Amino acid sequence: MDGLNDKVGGGTRYAFDAALPGMRHAKLLRSPHPHARILGIDASHALALPGVVCVVTGEDAARLPDPHHGFSVRDQPLIAIGKVRYVGDPVAAVVAMDERTALAALELIAVDYEVLEPVPTLDAALAPGAPVLFDEPHPGAPLGVGAGSWSRNEPAPNVLYEYGYARGEIDTDLAGAAHVFTDSFAISRISHYYLEPYSGVARIEDGRIELWTCNQDPFMIRADISRMFGLPVNDICLHSPMIGGGFGGKSYCKLEPLIVLMAMKARAPVRLALTLDESLLTLTKHAGVLTLTTGVDAEGRLIARRSELKLDGGAYADASAMVALKAAYRVTGPYRWKSVFSRASIIRTTTIPAGSYRGFGGTQASYASECQIDMIARRIGLDPYEMRRRNLLDVGEPFAPGDSGMDSDLRRGLDEVCRRLGYHERSQHPGHRNGRGMGLAIGIKDGGGTGNHAQATVTVSHTGAVTVSAATTEIGQGAGSTLCRIATRTLGLPLANARYAPIDTDRTPLNNGTHVSCGTTVTGTAVQRAAEDARAQILEFAAEQLQCPAADLTLEESGQGWAVRRGADLHPLAPLIMSWFGGVGYVFIGRGGIKVPYDERSPVRARNLFWMPSWAGAEVEIDRETGRLRVLQLIVGGDAGHAIDMASCVGQIAGAALQAYGLSLFEELRYRDGAQPENADPRAYRVPMASDLPDRFDCFVEEHGMGPGPFGAKGLGESGMLAVTAALANAIEDATGARVTTTPFTGERILAALDGLDTVVPMDQRSAAE
Amino acid sequence: MTGDGRGFTLNGKPASLRAPDNAVLVDVLREDHGLHGCRIGCDQAVCGACTVLVDGTPMAACSTFAFEVEGRSVLTIEGVANASDGAPDPIQRAFLEERGFQCGYCTAGMILTTRALLERDPDPTEATIRAWLGAGVCRCTGYSAIISAVHTAARLLRQGSV
Repeated sequence: MDGLNDKVGGGTRYAFDAALPGMRHAKLLRSPHPHARILGIDASHALALPGVVCVVTGEDAARLPDPHHGFSVRDQPLIAIGKVRYVGDPVAAVVAMDERTALAALELIAVDYEVLEPVPTLDAALAPGAPVLFDEPHPGAPLGVGAGSWSRNEPAPNVLYEYGYARGEIDTDLAGAAHVFTDSFAISRISHYYLEPYSGVARIEDGRIELWTCNQDPFMIRADISRMFGLPVNDICLHSPMIGGGFGGKSYCKLEPLIVLMAMKARAPVRLALTLDESLLTLTKHAGVLTLTTGVDAEGRLIARRSELKLDGGAYADASAMVALKAAYRVTGPYRWKSVFSRASIIRTTTIPAGSYRGFGGTQASYASECQIDMIARRIGLDPYEMRRRNLLDVGEPFAPGDSGMDSDLRRGLDEVCRRLGYHERSQHPGHRNGRGMGLAIGIKDGGGTGNHAQATVTVSHTGAVTVSAATTEIGQGAGSTLCRIATRTLGLPLANARYAPIDTDRTPLNNGTHVSCGTTVTGTAVQRAAEDARAQILEFAAEQLQCPAADLTLEESGQGWAVRRGADLHPLAPLIMSWFGGVGYVFIGRGGIKVPYDERSPVRARNLFWMPSWAGAEVEIDRETGRLRVLQLIVGGDAGHAIDMASCVGQIAGAALQAYGLSLFEELRYRDGAQPENADPRAYRVPMASDLPDRFDCFVEEHGMGPGPFGAKGLGESGMLAVTAALANAIEDATGARVTTTPFTGERILAALDGLDTVVPMDQRSAAE
Repeated sequence: MTGDGRGFTLNGKPASLRAPDNAVLVDVLREDHGLHGCRIGCDQAVCGACTVLVDGTPMAACSTFAFEVEGRSVLTIEGVANASDGAPDPIQRAFLEERGFQCGYCTAGMILTTRALLERDPDPTEATIRAWLGAGVCRCTGYSAIISAVHTAARLLRQGSV
């Protein structure tokens, strides 16, 4: 069975399955307190238990050159040093001969805590005199930004990061607008809930570290381990097997340095496989409150928007800074503005760290923006569809001065949603505005990364066997298959000839990680260029053998294997190559790369590579007695530019859309009494099942042909999440006249909205209120 | 420990059941029999990744004691393909054809659940399929492609495809 078949045959191996001879097993002791000082750890009884190899604590970590990690703010120790900052913070790690013994040993570790006041919410963290999570500032450079933007690490107590962007005369423009509206939206904390629990295995041999991990950023982790342990990068090798789902939850540094430290202390290979419960305690999506003040003219043209985003970053930085930057920059949506002021702050709280989740703040920004656009349309008596049409960016129009132009036809996608939904005929339904209604939304985010780069090789053997090597990890998106398609299409060889090489950082060309929907466009371009390089070498070789110009030759697959064609003549390549090289044959090695340049004139320091719009439409029915929401239709579309593999593209949209659907309807990781997680386990935390699907769930992918990637492609893996929540909220208002502004849209919240109550509850009081 | 005389049928072949009384089936399948296609996800009978068929009925191997399958027949994903040539069975072919998976972690459970469903109802309605697949979580696909795969599998099986 080939790689694809192995998923249906059970043969695929994940990091969770990784095993090495002599391997020991680790388990973590986690903090029961949201905030506490560690006064002492007594592991003597655990160490006395037969089968226990060693115990690793903050004392071991503190001896490293740099025990902290975090993207742009390095504040997270690989295991708690002196203090714990959320329920679930790892305090001690036991390595034993088997997991059972490790688990038993955890019970024998005594930790002496001085319990501190928790800081569970945004309001608690920002209150005057609030307890602080950290006393000292941390190393790390603020994210680089360009024209009109600012970027600050740790600007105030309990504030991890602030990003802002301003252009135009916002106060003047708001003062001069025909209508000005201010609305706030709250979004809940949700969990990635990937199915393969977070896992890794490390071994140290001849002073070299080898690590098999489910993380999607092998080169980033290699750099983190290099810095933290003071080792050169060529003493560290990361292996990335198939990843059992991630959605951002397996990006950036997580447990890898701890696994390495355990393997060093145990002097044996060590496996750490979390349970899914523990995985839920590792990272969440950012909850937050987004307040938008928007001015429009008498015809419903958008003039100016001031946005204040407060996002709950949890206890440690992870990738929060990037989430803030992207959320604030995109919160103006795919529209034309005269002036803009956007600011996002990441607030530290004593909760699970928040980080990237399928779009770096894109969901939060699009949700708030698209709800408010709809609300304004209804307030000024415009159809929300018409309001959007009047303000959407045209093709080629820059998202912001200094940034790249829109490379999708935004109206075309919106019209396709309307057509599939039956939007323009909705008023003919007798239930319309009487419990039944439709809503639209258009999400937008930048894609491909900021100033991103990637390298790749494409090797072609004398038999025409193609090996594509790049560091885009296989996480379910079908990266290997898509990159093989790009390579073989460029070479002119059948897809069946190509294999995607296993990823390890000793051999695989570098990229910045499997992020920001960059696999097809950025790494794909590197693969395409590598394939072009290989093709040129092959044709040059053949031209020399055939004594003709290379330009006269083309590659093709023939009945006699791969061959070069010169006019009517076909020359099989295998014999040509073997007669020259002999031995065991030859391999042509094509190299390719791409670097998106930095540009200080662009607000986020690089012109965005491509734009990822998401069009959504929903039809809902609300039970006025119970507030129960039934989703009759959910239509979600994206633009692939050019679909390298249409089935994969549609699958990405559908998967992302259903995650946003869960967030909209019932997903929420809650805290009880502001301190203890209430449902951070896979049984209590509800994710959508097949039985929860909308009555009609229709996803589509357009090909607007304007992508910068191979054959006009652009990424879309994150986009399906962006517009769903706003489309549902907008449909609820269309059906009932009531607006819900806090996710998830539970029956209680809808009933409250129906009763005319304002449902924007400060984050602070939410758990108490429910 | 259960005695040497105890056994069960695993993927059509007799197998011994040497496991402590508190051992769960998923650990026995993975560790004693090397059947890693039986995945551990939630480890509490919610996600369905460890689903196996016990006498044709889907069960969560993470929450089934090994002794419960004594004398019974267990089918894991490794036993679904043709035993002699490894050719995928019609349900596996349908999942391949419809791309009924992304990361693949839930796939074994989904395929085995589909098998049990189609044995009971060869021509299930959309609502029946959604209800049956509701026994497991797929966080990647949004279920659409999996539902299409069940429809396709049903058609292949009704056509007597082997």
